Amino acid sequence: MRDIIYAVIVALSIVVTVQSAHTLYLTLYTWNRPPSEASAPEQFQPPRLSFTVMLPARHEEAVIATTVGRVAQANYPAGLMQILVICSADDEGTIAKAEEKITELRRQGVRNVSLVVFHDKPINKPHGLNAGLAKAVMDVVTIFDAEDDIHPEIFNVANTVMVNEQVRVVQGGVQLMNFDSSWYSALNVLEYFFWFKSRLHYHARRGATPLGGNTVFFARDLITRLGGWDETNLTEDADIGLRLSAAGEPIRIVYDDRYVTKEETPPTIRQFIKQRTRWSQGFMQTLKKGTWRELPTGRQRRLAVYTLAFPQAQALLGLYVPFSLLTILSLKAPVLVALVSFLPVLTLLGHFLISVVGLYEFADAHDLKVSPIAIPRLAFGWIPYQLLVSYASMRAVLRHMRGISNWEKTQHVGAHRELADARGLELGEEPSRVALFRQGAGESAAEG
Amino acid sequence: MSPYSDKERARALLKDEPQRAPRAREPGRTLQSDEPQRAPRAREPGRTLQRDAPQRAPRTREPERTPRAREPAREPAATVARAGVAPSLGGIRPLGRAGQAALAFALVTGLATHGYHLFEYPLYSTDEGIYVERAWSVIREGRLSPQTYFYDHAPAGWLVLALWEFVLPRHFETFGNPVNSGRVLMLLLHLASVYFLFQIARTFSGSLRAPLIATFFFNFSPLAIYYQREVLLDNMMVFWVLLSIYLVLRRERQLFAGLWSGVAFGMSVVTKENAIFFAPSIYYLLSRRVRWDSRRHFGQMFWLFGAGTAVSIYFLFATLKGELLPAHLSFDLSRPPRGHVSLLYEMWYQIHRNQGALFVRGSYLYTMWEPKDGLLLAAGTIAMAASLYLGWQERRQDPALLVAGTLALEIAFYLARGSVILDFYVLPLIPLYALNIGLIADRALGRIPAPTARVALPALSALWGALLLLPTTGYFVQHGFRGQPNHLADVYNLPLTNVQNEQIAWIRQHIPPNDKIITDEDIWVALHDVRPYYPYAQSHWNAASDPQIRDNLFHSSWQNIDYIVLSNQMKRAMTLNNGNGQENWILDALNNHSTTVWQVTRGNVTLAIYQVQK
Repeated sequence: MRDIIYAVIVALSIVVTVQSAHTLYLTLYTWNRPPSEASAPEQFQPPRLSFTVMLPARHEEAVIATTVGRVAQANYPAGLMQILVICSADDEGTIAKAEEKITELRRQGVRNVSLVVFHDKPINKPHGLNAGLAKAVMDVVTIFDAEDDIHPEIFNVANTVMVNEQVRVVQGGVQLMNFDSSWYSALNVLEYFFWFKSRLHYHARRGATPLGGNTVFFARDLITRLGGWDETNLTEDADIGLRLSAAGEPIRIVYDDRYVTKEETPPTIRQFIKQRTRWSQGFMQTLKKGTWRELPTGRQRRLAVYTLAFPQAQALLGLYVPFSLLTILSLKAPVLVALVSFLPVLTLLGHFLISVVGLYEFADAHDLKVSPIAIPRLAFGWIPYQLLVSYASMRAVLRHMRGISNWEKTQHVGAHRELADARGLELGEEPSRVALFRQGAGESAAEG
Repeated sequence: MSPYSDKERARALLKDEPQRAPRAREPGRTLQSDEPQRAPRAREPGRTLQRDAPQRAPRTREPERTPRAREPAREPAATVARAGVAPSLGGIRPLGRAGQAALAFALVTGLATHGYHLFEYPLYSTDEGIYVERAWSVIREGRLSPQTYFYDHAPAGWLVLALWEFVLPRHFETFGNPVNSGRVLMLLLHLASVYFLFQIARTFSGSLRAPLIATFFFNFSPLAIYYQREVLLDNMMVFWVLLSIYLVLRRERQLFAGLWSGVAFGMSVVTKENAIFFAPSIYYLLSRRVRWDSRRHFGQMFWLFGAGTAVSIYFLFATLKGELLPAHLSFDLSRPPRGHVSLLYEMWYQIHRNQGALFVRGSYLYTMWEPKDGLLLAAGTIAMAASLYLGWQERRQDPALLVAGTLALEIAFYLARGSVILDFYVLPLIPLYALNIGLIADRALGRIPAPTARVALPALSALWGALLLLPTTGYFVQHGFRGQPNHLADVYNLPLTNVQNEQIAWIRQHIPPNDKIITDEDIWVALHDVRPYYPYAQSHWNAASDPQIRDNLFHSSWQNIDYIVLSNQMKRAMTLNNGNGQENWILDALNNHSTTVWQVTRGNVTLAIYQVQK
């Protein structure tokens, strides 16, 4: 009996080690390739494409006005932009704030922002996007979340990439910024950092790309032809990415530290768990839906299944390390078995060290400072964070099994904006880059 | 009269009999600080052997007698790394035709000098026997050692050796004597090391002169050939260190290059611990290589992670066996802890051990190394000093000389501080001295104006070749002993191991397999791995110090010994190892109760077999 247990431990350890090493490779995929593959173009094409910006929002009273303002004042011809704020009819608070902002913008001469209100169900993001898509009239459709801080040049980036490379889908970089807010925020920030900066490029190259939920640009006719977003799916973004991949549509990932869309980490653990549960459950839905079967090659299908099934595996992985430690200590396993069972710990250490370096890379890229407490916090928070993610995955499995699939919305408080404002004041700068543009635009208008 | 003081006496009388001193067992507890010669390792006074704390008495080994403008050799400037970048920072470039020819020459000469006569010279030594024995134990018994493994060395070396033996069709007997298969592995590792040294020297210098000169010494030096043929952890360590440096210099600046270099370095440390001294230089070279790379932090982190992984697994192993810390957390060196062996205690002991001063009369420098190749040592020391001086001056533009100099300095310092326990500790110094000689010679030759060089270089090469043919250098020709004519160097000429094989053959013909035999490590595997097995053939080292063998098998009584099989100088080693009287009962059997039943003497090598009369 003991021999069987030892054999299982050894086999599991090897599998986990291999998987962990592969994840490590994907985490650093971009760094192992020429920098030009991932970065944004250095010179922009003249504006040629027009953009419909969809801003789905629900209970976003705290942030929607600022976001609308920033999108409206992006550095792109207003005549080539249509901005749609999308709300459900019962969300009176957000509607009121949005209308207030739209009125204010109209007083300033900005007339390309309008409100789309839907009255039917389901009340979720994909349904809102489909409602917005029906009102979209421009060449390219793009999505930003209500709390996003976009870069003023993002539309020039997308325009140049789509024109130069003749691609019809572009995923821009999204980056969580408030790495110092809580014990888990640095880890959350780094997840985004490595995902968008590195791993997503691997997926795009292989042709099985689960897209992000915002800063993604679609040719409107393409998305219309695909039938829009799946309103029953909690991760409509991953789903549409796989449907595009199955249709053979190349997807270009552009992650450039200069142009990332800035977001915030969930403000509380409860919110974090809700978000993760939704993502994990969404992946399970997408896996069950079977879109991955339409991917042309076996390699693509395997990659898709591996990615979509990972949350379920993650539910078990979080328990594996303490379980193996407990087993080894209580069973007094042979030394060789014990050594093999520690291999996942080594790869875990490798991940941690990569995270430490990644944190400094991230901070360097965004001119932020890593406090002395950040690394110990990262070290001590590492295991609890993995357990948190595992718990969310387990919660997702349970919800999925019980058929519960309501949209648990993540609260946004604009923590990343506080960070940006604080940093700006520290540097003696205007809190917003858009403000600088506005100032410049005002001066040009005065001269003209 | 000390046998080490007379070089003539130390040379073999017969030209086929270079004397070989018994080797002290690593790590070597010194016997007496005033021993005129290499004292064997023995237990310090007060450190008694405990039944449940097996220890090994070290074995002594007596000194062995007898071992800017385009230059023609420069590769085209077009292949030099981008303008303004030093060659060492530009990485290893592809070889042109001339480079391929030079590399082929280096490899072929390495194969010839180290492969020819490999199984005949030198004598199979005690330490070779130990590592082959441990590899045998890994394969046959699933253990790190046939006796208690007490963390004298990290086991990566003989684990690699075991893997090699395992893949051979007949394992240990593939090439005859079990030590031979280990020597074949050493040959292969040497060829790989030649390749790495070639590329490192070429990258550091940007020319072909430096690698040709460096690999020449690495291949042809009698000192190098003598030790590099032997199955020693140091040879494997050198391979890993050179590999680690080579991986840092690879032109394709892959993200994980730092990781693999670090892993190779970690392997070198868990093969032979003193590789740790090379860490600063290699890490500095890595840091300079990646300085302007946006991924430099990952590269540096990966190197540390890779290096730390192998070392941490070793510590983890000891922890899992409950042998990391000594019993009662006692690090008292005067009172070894009872109960179980301990990795940290052994390390603590090693750090505080200090013997084998280098610059005293009778040291290995004068008795073993300089007689074999004083030219390499002198030229290497000068070249190292020049590398350090010039390297410091130009470190900002090109760190190559500084790195080469510090690599050699790190190991030279280790030897000079009094850490020389065994003569083969010189091994890591050889390729690094060769590297420095190559780099400095290249610099010097590069200063000769082109018109002069066309005449001077061939003349210098001819003069150099003539010098090396002289018996004074001993590279190809050696002086005859006491008026005897000069002869081809012993490394290519003298068959020594035949006598050991004769001894084994006699044992198998005349001694029953179940008899209790006291022997040495050099023939241990030969008696334990070939049928009929001799399960009660144990080395005098273990018989004296391992309670399981001393008490359970022999009961510390001469009457339980049937035969004593003496390797060359074994009796002397036993005497030197008898500081605490642990070999009294064996010496008593040998001196007072046995008769010679077989003996062969060739020059200063004497092997014998004694039957104990009861």
